[in-house]
Amino acid sequence: MSTPAAPDLFRSERIRRRRAVSRSVELLATAAALLAVAVLVIVVASVAKRGAGALNVDFFTKTPDFAALPGQPTGAANAIVGTGVIVGLAILMALPVGILTAIYLNELAPRRLANVLTLALDVLNGIPAIVIGIFVFVLFVNGHGQAAWKASFALAVLMLPLVARATQEVLALVPNSYREASLALGAAKWRTTFSVVLPQTVGGIVTGATLATARIAGETAPLLFTSSLAGNAVSHDPSQPLSSLPLFIFLSAEQADPKLHEQAWAAALVLIGFVLVASLIARAFTARSRQRLTGER
Amino acid sequence: MRIIATKRNSVIGLISVLLAAAATVGAVSVSGAEARSSAGEISGAGATFPAPLIAVWQQRYQAARGVKVNYNAIGSGGGIAAITQKTVDFGASDAPLSPDQFSACNGCVQLPWVLSATSVMYNMPLPNNLHMTGPILADIYLGKITNWNDARIQKINRGITMPDKHITVVYRSDGSGTTYNFTSYLNTVSRQWRSQVGHGTTVNWPTGVGARGSSGVSGVISRTEGAIGYADIAYALKNHLKYFSMQNRAKRFTRPTLVGIRSASLADRKFSPTNELSIVNPPARFRKAYPICTYSYVLLRIQSQKASLLKQFVTWALTTGQQYGPPLVFQPIPAYVVARGKATLRKIHS
Amino acid sequence: MAVASKPATGPAAFQRRGRFRPGDTVLYVLTLAAALSGVVLLVLIARELLMEASPAIHKFGSGFLTTEAWDKLDPHHPAQKIYGARSFIFGTAVTSFGALLLATPIAIAIALFLTELAPRGVRGAVGVLVDMLAAIPSVVLGLWGILVLGPFIVNTLAPALHGTLGWLPIFSTKPSVGSNVFAAILILTIMIVPIISSVCRELFLGVPQELKDGALALGATRWEVARGVTFPYARAGIAAAVILGLGRAVGEAIAVTQVIGNAVAIHWSLFDAGDTLASRIAGQYIGADTRIKVASLVYLALILLVFSLIANLLAQIIVRRVASRHRAA
Repeated sequence: MSTPAAPDLFRSERIRRRRAVSRSVELLATAAALLAVAVLVIVVASVAKRGAGALNVDFFTKTPDFAALPGQPTGAANAIVGTGVIVGLAILMALPVGILTAIYLNELAPRRLANVLTLALDVLNGIPAIVIGIFVFVLFVNGHGQAAWKASFALAVLMLPLVARATQEVLALVPNSYREASLALGAAKWRTTFSVVLPQTVGGIVTGATLATARIAGETAPLLFTSSLAGNAVSHDPSQPLSSLPLFIFLSAEQADPKLHEQAWAAALVLIGFVLVASLIARAFTARSRQRLTGER
Repeated sequence: MRIIATKRNSVIGLISVLLAAAATVGAVSVSGAEARSSAGEISGAGATFPAPLIAVWQQRYQAARGVKVNYNAIGSGGGIAAITQKTVDFGASDAPLSPDQFSACNGCVQLPWVLSATSVMYNMPLPNNLHMTGPILADIYLGKITNWNDARIQKINRGITMPDKHITVVYRSDGSGTTYNFTSYLNTVSRQWRSQVGHGTTVNWPTGVGARGSSGVSGVISRTEGAIGYADIAYALKNHLKYFSMQNRAKRFTRPTLVGIRSASLADRKFSPTNELSIVNPPARFRKAYPICTYSYVLLRIQSQKASLLKQFVTWALTTGQQYGPPLVFQPIPAYVVARGKATLRKIHS
Repeated sequence: MAVASKPATGPAAFQRRGRFRPGDTVLYVLTLAAALSGVVLLVLIARELLMEASPAIHKFGSGFLTTEAWDKLDPHHPAQKIYGARSFIFGTAVTSFGALLLATPIAIAIALFLTELAPRGVRGAVGVLVDMLAAIPSVVLGLWGILVLGPFIVNTLAPALHGTLGWLPIFSTKPSVGSNVFAAILILTIMIVPIISSVCRELFLGVPQELKDGALALGATRWEVARGVTFPYARAGIAAAVILGLGRAVGEAIAVTQVIGNAVAIHWSLFDAGDTLASRIAGQYIGADTRIKVASLVYLALILLVFSLIANLLAQIIVRRVASRHRAA
């Protein structure tokens, strides 16, 4: 308590002003967060509202026909199957290379080299997807033809840094005592890595792979160069260009026919649904496996 | 040794299952691919201009011969690029190949297989088929005329009061044969256009907003009041857009109809060595001609694995296929064009 | 065996047992090959792009960067066209920095909210929602931009801005179509806010609690703690986050090309159409039917690559320096 002669520190003009400033900044920060959430809700709601109407059985089973008569049912079956094939192949290409890379960088490499190679991976991560698309086009497609596996390759290049980094992080979380114990028991380095260290990181790897998949499932630019001249029929032949959901959306969005717009929204809904669900699962997995790993310590 | 359920074993098991699944998918896909190619399939890409007719051809030809024709309407520029890069079996372009493009394509031929007109569409609460002349249109696209109530537009449309509305110019942002046709026409009616902008599948547009594909242009116009743009007449009809009556060299205002197209096609019957025909802005003696007509070409490689399938399809398109054109305002090509096409097709082999 | 004095990892670990383990060699070779793939890819990308762009580099040289033209008639060679990157470099700069200007304060405010202000339960939920914003594919944002945001800009937002702030050059025209630079800036902002905000969130969480407690004990308000302790401490990291966001904005091709109007021009008004490096490539590469045009587009990609490499390297250097400083502390 202050004596009557001393200034009242809690009611003076300055403190009131400073508190007011702080409070208005807090309000602004809250408003900003609410704005972001509002934008998310608006976008997802737009997609859901406009897409749900066109999301019927036809959408998943019929194929597009840009010259369709008014009553004829069309859908995006080939795009859905195509996306599955392309993304599936991309995972198969990126996952082994990413895991092996992370093993090298975390377990085997000398410190200097590991830093340089990690930097290279981080730089690769920042290269725009459209540049990767041109690269794969020049390397594989020009003169030879488009193919779904070439699209997968481009997506795998985009995934590689993400998978490698996620695996690296989980590998670093495994306590060194495990490795030392295994080596002390006489196991070779490769045995140690695959039987002792890696099994503990499966959760983190799955999370990283899921997040990377969610990231590239919506990528359109590399597909433009490698798998855009696809037929209308449903196909899973990776040596031919296949249709895909992102390209379907891209091409349908700029058509004049409102019915195609509806289908674009429906495709967007499917894509967003997949991406959001995958991200949420990965996030839940991260929280749980981090709890388990750090809880074990 | 018993296999116990350790984490290691489950990881190995998971990886094995994934690899097995991948192998199965791979095997199924490859076998599926072989089965598909024996049925007969050709893929093409290119101009959006003939796309409505090609869509009908795809259905009819598969019903008639069992061969599947895939077509991606990515624009004439895309068609030229695709056949050059060997990513398709045939290309389609309203813009004929230049000598440079022929040498880059390295063993390609072109032949006209479709004949139609480019309509100039607009979105205004005014009657359909307003009058328009070439010089005024050129000035609009040059950015010199910016409002619908400009005196020059009003003068050729007596009896209709032009409202005060900004003109939104729309053009094709992608490589387009329709652009080639449209700008070739503007070249003939405006010296300033010819020296400042020129013609091509893409040009340096002085003003306006770009859209991709004939559908894209139609879409922007239908959404924007006051907009003017160009696309094949089939798109104007399909999207219920109004289009101008253009003044031809005989000082008459003509519309993009079968009559107008047929009259224009008579203006050039002499093929260039590369089968090119130019029927833009025909001389005055073709009084019924619509001034912005064009042939559209199919681009083929002289040497192709699918040579026989391609020859059969193009021959069918040149002959039987033409009957499906008129409802979509594609004028059946004249007999001498069919003959020239068949002669060109004989060069193609596998 | 003196295990404690020998390294547990690294190639030196192999020599420990003195016995030849073929499995270890296989592991070493396989993983090294995989790890080198990153470098190999980088080199290949640079090489292929340079080779493909060489006709344009040869013909236009560095003047390409200052020429404002695309498919422009060459007055000296009637059959040839001139290409130049200037309007796209300008467009990239305007859209990216515009988006940064809008996104950075919002993202930092969100990060502050999530680390300091929000109650524990709200923190998790809102954090997840903001991250979901990053997960929306760019083509979906572009679709929303064409069909929802565009009409909104034309019918509501632009007339309001033009009516009140029309004396500013950036709002000096009224758009009739929703495809313009302003739409692109808004879409890019939505894209980079979550990126900047998630990095800032980690940074703010890393500020030592003692520093914050000390400031609070001295009587600082929450805002003063943020301004005097959190921001200075995280200053370098915020810079890295902003640069990462910039890199993302610069490289975005699909969503931008859907909403920006694809015009080759440098306008003052944000409500006019324009184009960026990435967007022009996405829009024109498929239809590029002459060799010089393809080469010019790859030249654009090279400029884009150089810029994103610089931005990325800068951000990585800052991040590494900050990390080592924190480790030392």
